[in-house]
Amino acid sequence: MTATPILELRGIDKSFGSVRVLHDVSFTVHPGEVTALVGDNGAGKSTLVKCIGGIHPIDGGEYWCEGRQVQVHSPRDAAALGVEIVYQDLALCDNLDIVQNMFLGRERRRGLVLDDATMEEMAAKTLEGLSVRTVKSIRQQVSSLSGGQRQTVAIAKAVLWNSKVVILDEPTAALGVAQTAQVLELVRRLADNGLAVVLISHNMNDVFAVSDRIAALYLGRMAAQVSTSDVTHSQVVELITSGRSGDLGLAHSNGATA
Amino acid sequence: MPCPVAGPYNDEVWGSMKAGPSQEEIRRHNLGTLLRHVHIGGSLSRTALAERMGLNRSTILGLVSELASVGLVREGLPRETGRAGRPSLVVRTESDRAYVLAFDVGVDRLAVARIGLGGVFLDRREIPVPPGGHDAGKVAEALAASALEMVGTAPKGTSCVGVAAAVRGMVRRPDGLVRTAPYSGWEDEEFGEDLVRRLDLGLPVSVENEASLGALAEHLRGVATGCQDLVYLHGDIGIGGGIVTGGRLLGGDQGYGGEIGHMVVNPYEGRPCGCGARGCLEAEAGERALLEAAQRDPAATGRDAVRAVVEAADRGDVAARAALHDVGDWLGIGVANLVNVFNPRTVVFGGTLREVFLGSAAQIRSRINRHALAASRENLRLRVGELGDDAVLIGAAELAFSEMLVGPLETLARAGA
Repeated sequence: MTATPILELRGIDKSFGSVRVLHDVSFTVHPGEVTALVGDNGAGKSTLVKCIGGIHPIDGGEYWCEGRQVQVHSPRDAAALGVEIVYQDLALCDNLDIVQNMFLGRERRRGLVLDDATMEEMAAKTLEGLSVRTVKSIRQQVSSLSGGQRQTVAIAKAVLWNSKVVILDEPTAALGVAQTAQVLELVRRLADNGLAVVLISHNMNDVFAVSDRIAALYLGRMAAQVSTSDVTHSQVVELITSGRSGDLGLAHSNGATA
Repeated sequence: MPCPVAGPYNDEVWGSMKAGPSQEEIRRHNLGTLLRHVHIGGSLSRTALAERMGLNRSTILGLVSELASVGLVREGLPRETGRAGRPSLVVRTESDRAYVLAFDVGVDRLAVARIGLGGVFLDRREIPVPPGGHDAGKVAEALAASALEMVGTAPKGTSCVGVAAAVRGMVRRPDGLVRTAPYSGWEDEEFGEDLVRRLDLGLPVSVENEASLGALAEHLRGVATGCQDLVYLHGDIGIGGGIVTGGRLLGGDQGYGGEIGHMVVNPYEGRPCGCGARGCLEAEAGERALLEAAQRDPAATGRDAVRAVVEAADRGDVAARAALHDVGDWLGIGVANLVNVFNPRTVVFGGTLREVFLGSAAQIRSRINRHALAASRENLRLRVGELGDDAVLIGAAELAFSEMLVGPLETLARAGA
């Protein structure tokens, strides 16, 4: 629906030694939308995300950002483009409070000392902008937070840096129903605020509840990237498990034609 | 001629057949509009107001001072600007100056709230439905007693400017007669009139269907803010509905419109519905259908019971999963019909349907994608309500404020302050 994708990968190839993990993968992400990235275990979701995040260099293919072709060699390059990734383990420090975690490694300074007041204000503003009302104090230690609240802090941390693309790796996997609802609402709000969100998930209800587009990986290939308003649950399951569903998906590689 | 419910959705202040409005009418309209902007939008600078209302800044200044002189708004420094330089003042409502009373008549609980300008909850109480809740008089008595206590404890210099009540039933417009509220066992109750007498505040009491008010709340202050076309489904003991088209709440000829729960989806083999028919959406996808299909204890009902089914499904309970699957399927069929008829931008799932939606979104969406027309569904957004259990009270408050937002000074004068 939106004219230029904020992020576009074309024909990405990636091998680890002799193992080919991604094969000619194309993937586009649009601002204001949640793109669900689905696929079986080992389909290449995590590798694709790590390529986007600059952790794995790509072997072949093009990386486009806001209509310009770019080179991404490190996580720092990706961050400079406004791409932030929230990994499943969240990488939060239990012994630090929410503000300290949000600015970890990127602290604001005023002269030689840390500018605590500004950091606190920015953190509060970000959480407020996301309508997060579940945390009592932003000076609370992260160890005292629930799973859903941790996820919220990790997401807020990613949003803080004027990021344009936020990639969430299974954000609801370890959460109960009520906390999953909170996180899904937050995911939706990020996109409604204009961000591009990529959601990796195994839960079809989560995918259908919040996504605008669904990208299905199958054995290292992009089986299809479709609008969520055009597919059914069973079609997506077929794309995940066999790479094709009716007219959608990959042509059979073994020569059989439908 | 009785005024057709002067809801917040009734934007036209003067009828189209009249001659041009007088200066006094224009000023009154502008005062109301400005108050509405800060009431809904929160604090706004005079420049922002001038832009939104299409008026010049000196006119805005005059309107703001007039509202400030009666204590409805005040100007102050914004909380934070994030920018260098002298911050410009913002106009915000004086939330304590004028308030409304909002009632929510639930099946097993009654809620009363005193809500100030700007939608601020100043006081809120929940009381159990008095014994003999099928007697509307008893309910009105309990609500009025609680409300009058609130009015008594309100600070001096504040005034009540409106009252509205939400009921789970069908309400006739324009007189507010509750034709039927099946779960309370009411038939043709003059509930609003009764409240007027018992409160004795010299104010009319608007009565409206609870799901319609939920729709209004999500439209004005919730997830569908700024969206002019939405369908709201409210899960409670049944399934209620509210439809906003072109920014106006749909009522139909007599106010009974929007009964989404009684849309027919399965007339031949469907389950019997409380209304006497068979295969209504509520019968197939309501709380009772879900709990029965999940083989739950029939004594346990309400939000916690629904949540328990969704949680069980999440843990892998097959009966719960199958139940959510079926209910999601029927809900999807219902929503697909609504999408084809109304072409809404947003469909909001509120009340217990919030949990049901998150637990069966794959089925709901699949049905919609199969049955709703491609053009109607391409920009459709499915969302869960943002206001939670307060949606109905917030909607009732907006209804109660509607007169205030048409003629602020007159309403305040009538309230005797």
